[in-house]
Amino acid sequence: MNLQFESILPYLLTGFYYTTLLTVGGLALGFAIGASLAFAETYLPRPASTVASGVEQVLRGIPLIVVFFLVYFGLPYAGIMLSPTVAAALGLGLRSGGYQSQIFRGALESIGVGQVEAALSIGMSKSSAYREVLLPQAIRLSIPAWSNEFTVVLKDTSMAYAIGVAELLKQAANIVALTLQPLEIYAIVAAIYFIATLVVSRTMNTAYEKWKIPGLGGGAR
Amino acid sequence: MTGYLLRVESIHKNLGGKEILKGASLNMHRGDTKVIIGPSGAGKSTLLRCVNLLMRPDSGRIFLDDEEITGKHVNLSHVRSEIGFVFQHFNLFMHLTALDNVKLGLVKVKKLSGQEAESNAARALRDVGIQDTLFRNYPAQLSGGQQQRVAIARAIAMEPKIILLDEPTSALDPELIGEVLRVMEQLAQSRTTMLAVTHEIGFAKNVADEIVFMDDGVVLETGTPADLLANPKHERTQRFLGKISELYGVKRTGA
Repeated sequence: MNLQFESILPYLLTGFYYTTLLTVGGLALGFAIGASLAFAETYLPRPASTVASGVEQVLRGIPLIVVFFLVYFGLPYAGIMLSPTVAAALGLGLRSGGYQSQIFRGALESIGVGQVEAALSIGMSKSSAYREVLLPQAIRLSIPAWSNEFTVVLKDTSMAYAIGVAELLKQAANIVALTLQPLEIYAIVAAIYFIATLVVSRTMNTAYEKWKIPGLGGGAR
Repeated sequence: MTGYLLRVESIHKNLGGKEILKGASLNMHRGDTKVIIGPSGAGKSTLLRCVNLLMRPDSGRIFLDDEEITGKHVNLSHVRSEIGFVFQHFNLFMHLTALDNVKLGLVKVKKLSGQEAESNAARALRDVGIQDTLFRNYPAQLSGGQQQRVAIARAIAMEPKIILLDEPTSALDPELIGEVLRVMEQLAQSRTTMLAVTHEIGFAKNVADEIVFMDDGVVLETGTPADLLANPKHERTQRFLGKISELYGVKRTGA
């Protein structure tokens, strides 16, 4: 085996750069979508909350690769042309939004209305009660499940291969086409995904331990 | 001027298609302690929640210091900050320490500086017998009795005109009830205006200026503890007190 590490490294680095970009983009967009949907489902009155849960169902019910094809190959026919990277980030964000809304909804519901009522009873406004009482707890409670979603998005960036984003897997495939060493190259790529995932879950776990509410076990009342 | 701090006039409230309050009325003088008793489902908690506008009454009017608080354009936050509320399940903010639980309203609603809020919060906590060593504890690290006392401190620190207490000891283990009742007794002695829903007949008998008996959405009768407990006029009051003394007979004679 004579892998020329110096020669393939730049390709892998470029790939990892795009993988990171898609992960961060997808998670950020997913956070915005997920938080809005969760809020709408939990606190808005009937028509809005029903629409929000419908949207959540749809987002969670379509395979990621189909979302990619819809956004990248389909949208141009509606006059919207997106670069592969933007299309992939959008697709990842849409799907992650569906899952993140479930995470946040669970957290919000587990806190219960009593604490918000207590905040209102001392004269705090509704928005202040949400900001000061509900959100800080909901975020803490969401960390374990959100950490899992983080690793899912990280790994699923590899599906952007299908629409030609130069992410890690795509770069690896390019290298294999030149070196004809699929076993070594794909093993390296697998190891990179594994290590990145490990780092993410360890870091999130540390954050969870650090911000855990003293005296409370896994969940809050 | 009527001389009343709180006037509740004929409150009606429907919940889930059922009429819970059917014209409940009561008046309170400043400095009074009033205890509401009555069977479950009588509308006691609903009445309290209407008074601090956690629920809007369907009809009827409520006046605080001769100002109507049930009007359309009332400032909800301002009214609520003048009416303390103590919940059955404490409802402390679980992510904040005991001290910060009391401080939050002082900073966010009363707009006190951090330092002033902190010293006021500390004073309120000491008033309810929470030692300084517990200030940095989180609710989940406190006993139920301590949590409820922190909740009372959170209410009194706002310096409300009146404090409403909704079954403040019902969620507590029996051995923790006493410490909360003692704090309520202190408040009564310092002439804090208090309206409490409670099943602690001993407290009602010894501390209340007046007892209010509610049944089926209305205030059925009102009287001093001596009058109402000894000579209840209504048959329903008699029946309720009979049941209570069966259950808590020992406590009543001991109290």
